[in-house]
Amino acid sequence: MSAVFEGYEKQYCELSANLSKKCSSASLLDGEQKKQKISEIQSGLDTAEALIRKMDLEARGLQPNIKAVLLVKLREYKSDLNNLKSEVKRIASTNLDQAARDDLLEAGMADTLAVSANQRDRLLMSTERLNNSSNRIRESRKVMLETEELGVSLLHDLHQQRQSLLHANNTMHGVDDNISRSKKIIGNISRRMDRNKWIIGAIITVLVIAIAVILYFKLSK
Amino acid sequence: MGDHLARADDFEKKAEKKLSGWGLFGSKYEDAADLFDKAANSYKLAKSWDQAGAVYVKLAECHLKLDSKHEAANAYADAAHCYKKTNTKESISCLEQSVNMFLDIGRFNMSARYYKEIAELCEQEQNLEQAIAYYEKAADLFQSEEVTTSANQCKQKIAQFAAQLEQYQKAIEIYEEIAQHSLNNNLLKYGVKGHLLNAGICQLCKNDVVAINNALERYQDLDPTFSGTREYKLLADLATAIDEEDVAKFTDAVKEFDSMTQLDSLKTTLLLRVKEALKAKELEEDDLT
Repeated sequence: MSAVFEGYEKQYCELSANLSKKCSSASLLDGEQKKQKISEIQSGLDTAEALIRKMDLEARGLQPNIKAVLLVKLREYKSDLNNLKSEVKRIASTNLDQAARDDLLEAGMADTLAVSANQRDRLLMSTERLNNSSNRIRESRKVMLETEELGVSLLHDLHQQRQSLLHANNTMHGVDDNISRSKKIIGNISRRMDRNKWIIGAIITVLVIAIAVILYFKLSK
Repeated sequence: MGDHLARADDFEKKAEKKLSGWGLFGSKYEDAADLFDKAANSYKLAKSWDQAGAVYVKLAECHLKLDSKHEAANAYADAAHCYKKTNTKESISCLEQSVNMFLDIGRFNMSARYYKEIAELCEQEQNLEQAIAYYEKAADLFQSEEVTTSANQCKQKIAQFAAQLEQYQKAIEIYEEIAQHSLNNNLLKYGVKGHLLNAGICQLCKNDVVAINNALERYQDLDPTFSGTREYKLLADLATAIDEEDVAKFTDAVKEFDSMTQLDSLKTTLLLRVKEALKAKELEEDDLT
């Protein structure tokens, strides 16, 4: 009886190795081929499942001590099968995702053309901005030179005004001197006027006295 | 306006009567002078400049009779100002008389200023030689009064006209002198490079290559900062362009300088002359070769 079991076991081992190989190869493929492989793997999985069920029946029909060993082996194979199933499921799911991502990235491949055009635009814009800034720098330099010229003419005017002020200052000193001189002269004039007044007054009194004396002598003769 | 005119007429007639009639104590001239003054004022308000000028001249004569030269000179100056608006020649003659009187009194400042005015009037009439003569007289008087700024201004104008009339040597000397003088003065030293540039351009007009290079070196000595300026660069470029007789290089250098600071009319005229001379020389050489 165990020969039957061993036969089933050998079949299962071959099948599982085959399936795992197919799994790994399927994960590398994509698209239609992947679907094909996956369906193959699925059918292989079904066969493996049937084998495991048969092994199970066989094992239960055997003697208890061998049964225990065989049942352990069977549990291992079941878990192995489950692994394979989950792997297949994963591949299938990633397949779907992969397909969607491929679609997206193909659109992305067309986008790179737009991206390079974008880069050209960006370069043009930056060159233009550099040109603008150098123009502005030149303008500001021109303005600065004009301001410098203005400053020079302002300084010139200031110099002129300084000279005028100094000249006015000197003239003021001259005027000061002249005024003090004229003050002295006017003082002289007023003194002379006073002197003249006294002299005239004295002469008048002398004349009046002389007239009085003559009259007195005339009248007393 | 008609009111002022009528009043002015009135005053003038009264003044004339005073002059021709008998006056007591010889005060007639003073009264007449007063009335003339008022008349002239009213004419000015009425904006009839010719009549105002005529009245001012009569006023000046009155003052002369009164022996007050100062007043007479002032009156002549006022007359000249009135005539300025209408008749320039009359104005110039009045100013000259006024200047002579001021010179007699010894007020050199005023006479120098009026000489400058005459020169400006001549300049307006484009009579450059006369203008130069008057500016020179003015500059001399200013120099004797130690008013160096006005003297420098007059000299600058002289140099400008001299350059226009192609008296380059004179212009060069004046510009260099002004530059030398301005160096000592803290306020004026920023204008030095302008003067040196003008002198340099005049040197270029003379078309003597060796002299140009010598002059550039001399300016270097005069002002150590000159070599860093754009003016020096322009002069050096122009000198090399003339050396190589390359008109395109000349135009490029001028254009570059002009893009930064606008060239004024004097410089443009002079540079144009140099360019024409250069082109002529180039054509000559082509003819020979």
